[in-house]
Amino acid sequence: MNVKILYLYPDFMNLYGDNGNVRILERRLQDQGFDVETVRKTITDKDICFEDVDFVYMGSGFESNRNKVASHLAQFREGLVKAIDDGVPMLFTGNSYDILGDKIEGANGEITQGLKLFDFNFKEQSEKRFTGDVVLEDPETKDILVGFVNRAGAPEDWDGFAYNAIKVIGNVPLKKDGVRKNNLLGISLIGPVLLKNPKIAESFVRIICGRKGTEYKEVSYPNSERSHEKTRKALLEAEA
Amino acid sequence: MKIRVFTAILVCKVIRCLAKLMGRGSSLPGKYALKICPDILSCLKLPELSIAVTGSNGKTSTVEMIAHVLKNNGLSVAYNKEGSNQIEGVVTFLIGDSTMGGKVKSDVVLLEADERYSRHIFKYFHPKYFVINNLYRDQMTRNGHPEFIKSIIGQAIYDDMTLILNADDPLVASFGKGREGTIYFGADNLPTDVKTHEGIYDDGKYCPICKSPMEYEYYHYNHIGKFRCTSCGFARHDTDHALTSTQETADGKASVTIDNKYNIPVFFSGIYHCYNILAAFTASAAAGIDPAKAAEALGGYILKSGRISDFTLGKTEGRLLLSKHENSVSYDRSIDVVVKDKRKKSVMFIVDAISRKYYTSDSSWLWDIDFEKLKSADIDRIILAGQYCDDLAVRFDLAGIDSGKIKVFELVTDAAEYCRNDLDSFLYVITCFSDKEKILSEVTRRELA
Ligand SMILES: [Zn+2]
Repeated sequence: MNVKILYLYPDFMNLYGDNGNVRILERRLQDQGFDVETVRKTITDKDICFEDVDFVYMGSGFESNRNKVASHLAQFREGLVKAIDDGVPMLFTGNSYDILGDKIEGANGEITQGLKLFDFNFKEQSEKRFTGDVVLEDPETKDILVGFVNRAGAPEDWDGFAYNAIKVIGNVPLKKDGVRKNNLLGISLIGPVLLKNPKIAESFVRIICGRKGTEYKEVSYPNSERSHEKTRKALLEAEA
Repeated sequence: MKIRVFTAILVCKVIRCLAKLMGRGSSLPGKYALKICPDILSCLKLPELSIAVTGSNGKTSTVEMIAHVLKNNGLSVAYNKEGSNQIEGVVTFLIGDSTMGGKVKSDVVLLEADERYSRHIFKYFHPKYFVINNLYRDQMTRNGHPEFIKSIIGQAIYDDMTLILNADDPLVASFGKGREGTIYFGADNLPTDVKTHEGIYDDGKYCPICKSPMEYEYYHYNHIGKFRCTSCGFARHDTDHALTSTQETADGKASVTIDNKYNIPVFFSGIYHCYNILAAFTASAAAGIDPAKAAEALGGYILKSGRISDFTLGKTEGRLLLSKHENSVSYDRSIDVVVKDKRKKSVMFIVDAISRKYYTSDSSWLWDIDFEKLKSADIDRIILAGQYCDDLAVRFDLAGIDSGKIKVFELVTDAAEYCRNDLDSFLYVITCFSDKEKILSEVTRRELA
């Protein structure tokens, strides 16, 4: 059976090895027996189609790139919204998830309009980067996400964030993070989030299997499990 | 002269003497001087000629080469040694070279300028020449991404400086836009160039000025090459000094030629390293050194970089190629060396401590390195070692390298033990200076072949 991954702006929003997430998911889907087709759409494309797509991914980029993407992707907002409503799993990592909100206020005060799928706002500055390791916890399931944040902005207070930052090591003004809507997850963590958080990878694959009507086969990924455990232990034990 | 300035100079000199007596060099003296007189840098009298060098890679070797050329040509040079390129370090070395009246004694001040701190230092004095060699993805957890670094360096540039820029790096070259008198260096089309981009990511894909797609006539490596924006007209600038050819003879001797006539023997002719030589040559020429004499001095200069260490481990001989964690370009260049070697060989990658202080989750840079290149090389074994071996294992699995060739060790000592007992192919070790001793303490060092 064929599954289609839509990889958004792979050459424009690929600042922190974000390509790893798509490659990890491709591998996991292949392990389930799927033929995986990855469609790449970028800033020079005239059309981005969300129909018949089984997974959508976007990674981080320069702030200037992300702002261009916000207006480019706005042209295809209708298709994106429909796909989210239909329950298509999606992952937006790093500063790409800023775009899903209401607006971003840049360092020079200029406003970039978001896609307004959520009503959070980000405010940025250009003096320094906000960087550090974080441990996020889902308050309901107690699921833990580990990873690194490297961004120019911080969110303004908002009730809708999905995770509590239970540990922050470094200079990251973050108390809550991440959004969920149906099967979409947007999160500030950068880089190969699916390597460090195998549970998230597995849940995406389970959702895809479910939507495709195939049964999920148990496959173990010991390196990824160990990487998660080691990171989680180290970060929780470290001094903040 | 203000008493505050005098006190600052005195305190700085005294602490520096004491530190030297105790065998320690540090930027502590400068720290105290700054406490007494925060604008001490603007109170010093600098010589006519001052040169600052910045960039993601090669700052230290470029500065050392420029110092060597200038000294060789009879000039006295004050410069900051490695590790002291923040403002406290700059104050320490400048006061160390100055009279009690605050006059810097040397003919030239040469500055290795940190990308992030230049904007603070140049508030107080402007170097005559500002060399910018390259802007890569480098330690982004600490430095930020290249476009951020560009904006930070931009705050350090003033109208009265002359920029000396790498014409082949679009982000660096964009500093020259609209600036008359900018000096450019770059490499001409070389036989080792490629027509299509190689690597996992392409930071030259879009114009740094207007974000439209760029076209390249050729790439020297990564995004370094002859570029042209398809929309705004931004393109590689003609060079004032160019690397025109590189030569490597059968007996392993290498040399590079600048401007078609200045031949400089070098230890290795990797293009990556050539830019440091070319930057040093260009800066020296700008400073008024006769180009022929600059080339002669550079030819006699033995790079003390220690980038390469040869060793024996059990039955196998090996070579450590020093790279930088969190800097995919430096890893890519080391991988090039392995791929170019036609022997059957093994490679060990050690990622044990990314940060020296704590365990960080950020191993994202491993996904920016073109490990896929190793697929086409005749590789015996790939050994992945260190605390991040699991991250490496996932990365290598997805690089499509035969898993039967891959060995994974959490401890470097276990990896070394495996090589000592089971390996008979030549072994390359690729790692960062922060992790290199972990393997070098396990091997017998040999003189460089
Ligand atoms: Zn342009």
